[in-house]
Amino acid sequence: MNNNWSSYDPGGFYDELITERGAPRVAARGAVGLLQGLSPEDMASRREAAELAIREMGISFTVYTEGGNIDRAWPFDIIPRVISARQWQQVSRGLIQRSRALNRFIDDIYNRQRILADGVVPAEIVLESGNYKPQCRGMSPRYGVWAHICGSDLVRDNDGRFYVLEDNLRVPSGVSYMVENREITKRVLPELFENYSILPVDDYPSRLYRTLASLSPRERKRPCIVVLTPGIYNSAYFEHAFLAQGMGAELVEGPDLMVGPDECVYMRTVDGPVRVDVIYRRIDEDFMDPEVFREDSVLGVPGLMRAWKAGKVAIANAPGSGVADDKVVYAYVPEMIRYYLKEKPLVDSVPTYLCMREKDREYVLDNLDKLVVKPANESGGYGIMVGPHASKAVRKKFAGLIAKNPRNYIAQPTLSLSTAPTYCDGAIEPRHLDLRPFILQGRESWVTPGGLTRVALVKGSLVVNSSQGGGSKDTWIVEGKA
Amino acid sequence: MTMLSRVADRLYWMARYLERAEDTARLVASYHMLIMDIPRGSELGWDVLLRILDAEPQFYSRFRVPNEQNVVKFLLADMDNHGSVACSIRYARENVRTTRDVLPEETWEKVNELHLYSRELAEKSVGRRNRQAFLDEVVGRCQMINGMLLTTLSRDHAHRFSTIGHLLERCDMTTRVVDVGVMEIMERDERFAAIDPLLWSCMLQSLSALGAYRRVVGPLLEGGAIAEFVLKDPLQPRSVAFCLRGIREALKPLANNTEALRQLDSARRKLGRFNAEAMNPEQVHRYIDDFQSLLNRLHQAISRAWFQPESL
Repeated sequence: MNNNWSSYDPGGFYDELITERGAPRVAARGAVGLLQGLSPEDMASRREAAELAIREMGISFTVYTEGGNIDRAWPFDIIPRVISARQWQQVSRGLIQRSRALNRFIDDIYNRQRILADGVVPAEIVLESGNYKPQCRGMSPRYGVWAHICGSDLVRDNDGRFYVLEDNLRVPSGVSYMVENREITKRVLPELFENYSILPVDDYPSRLYRTLASLSPRERKRPCIVVLTPGIYNSAYFEHAFLAQGMGAELVEGPDLMVGPDECVYMRTVDGPVRVDVIYRRIDEDFMDPEVFREDSVLGVPGLMRAWKAGKVAIANAPGSGVADDKVVYAYVPEMIRYYLKEKPLVDSVPTYLCMREKDREYVLDNLDKLVVKPANESGGYGIMVGPHASKAVRKKFAGLIAKNPRNYIAQPTLSLSTAPTYCDGAIEPRHLDLRPFILQGRESWVTPGGLTRVALVKGSLVVNSSQGGGSKDTWIVEGKA
Repeated sequence: MTMLSRVADRLYWMARYLERAEDTARLVASYHMLIMDIPRGSELGWDVLLRILDAEPQFYSRFRVPNEQNVVKFLLADMDNHGSVACSIRYARENVRTTRDVLPEETWEKVNELHLYSRELAEKSVGRRNRQAFLDEVVGRCQMINGMLLTTLSRDHAHRFSTIGHLLERCDMTTRVVDVGVMEIMERDERFAAIDPLLWSCMLQSLSALGAYRRVVGPLLEGGAIAEFVLKDPLQPRSVAFCLRGIREALKPLANNTEALRQLDSARRKLGRFNAEAMNPEQVHRYIDDFQSLLNRLHQAISRAWFQPESL
């Protein structure tokens, strides 16, 4: 065994590749064996090759700073994360179930509101949420599906089970990195693929295309699909371009589109106006249409909501989908599954304390040092307090915030995020990670085999967001034994 | 498959900036070679390059002395000079970055690599020692990118708009070189006539036309014939006549092209009337001025027809 690996110790955490006894897990055996056989120089040169590939492929993301936007190369760890297909199948069934229930919920909320009338979910937490958009009342998009692309965050706890941490139903990003990570691994560690049967991920754009095409209001062989981006300065612009190219769709910005007197959406082209059937929206709904939402938006398209409500264009994800993407509503998802589908949840949620409930709030305030406190309505890992790692002053600050605005905060037990061997400064060390699979829903449902694994590159850190020092790994779903 | 007006606009500028980077690099490279051949005391100053590029006001707003060091820095590495090689490459990259979905996959990789290269080395290549290698590399990479587009881009709108930008920029640069070249050389003191052939060959080299000129026109370098050749030779890919014909080919299949074709044809007619024999340097200068404003009008007609979004 190579020196790099002999001292590897994940501590008390569940490790993705190595068992408590220090042996590789069955699905990971081939990969670990091969990596252990590489000399330290060889590992270093593979890593360099990966960095070069990333730079040359131009895989980047943008970080906002006070000094302007910085385009950073995508941080990538060359050691893949391996999951067995058998285990993944179970998770992926659970994710589809969850996405079906969430879509039933959204459709219900904007129409009959049965679930509120039946008292399963308290009406006020839905209707008073900023994510509830009254402008969407009465709409029922095709197949009753609102959130066509869902990017759930999963973590694995000490017990080795996956838990859904949150459902990202607005404009989840990261899928392009999932595809590119595989591409990089193929370039720098081609031998790994020799003895494995790894489910491919590179057909995501065509799956997405099929999902979007199934939404088209006009029956056409090749509907006109566009990807609507806020533009080059958005942190996920790379991904918007990647997906547009993969689908053969136009990548448009707000000013490229206009709504005609016939309430159809047109794009401005060198051949004159061309009608658009489906918009894959990668801008926040608040900026989507200055006629309806924020008037000061220059990213949006005036009249877009009118066109959508008239059924002249499909929008994915539908405006208003965010109503189910709220950390308070999250606590009710298991109930929704039972309520709408009459099924038992197949994938676990994390127990969640709602600070708006008096009993929960008392518990949270008494146990701040053990819990993770999150604002109900932020993404990107901002505004989170990880109790066991927070200073007394920070805990006090959060106690004040919770008391002032309880609706806005939830708390969850601090999960022991699983680890995986990660190549850090010449050594192999355990780092915490999560997983973001993507669930597509149109006429049919589909889940990516695996997803984007994000890894906290800082020792001991649980924050995996790329904007805050996170990196990523290629994620393999492998069939059979290696 | 149609194309967004905004995308067409960016492709057009991508091609213009790439051509500008290549042409500026060529210009500096050929002048760099020339300087070493010229006897002391009879140099042209480096500021002639500033006159070719119409960049004197911009240069003097930040530099005092137009010496070799300053001019070369300004033309190669200066990020405040929009026409510098490094800056043109950066703009080309920005335009590809936002249009990569309509270009062959490798385009972005290659343009991005070129950008990384020039960002790292432009500043270090101002001195004579590394200059030539840097310029050769830039010219070579630009040609590789153009060659890749030529061989892999399908002949749709992406090809049309990048071709138009590429050729229009080339016309612009060729006419500038002729303008200043003719003026400078013809108006020089008789005493230095001995080195005139060096200057003419430098001028042809900067347009990559020296070999072709010798084969087509002959070994003797003479101002009027050179101007005729680089402006009007129908077979020479860098000649203005050749470029205008290429632009016409690209414009023909486009919708709404009447105005652009009209401007193009008037530039072609004007070119047909160029007659070096019958013109003195002052007249050549005025002719080129008029011709450049026709090119500018052509640019505006293109921009109005396809880049500026219309309403329903």
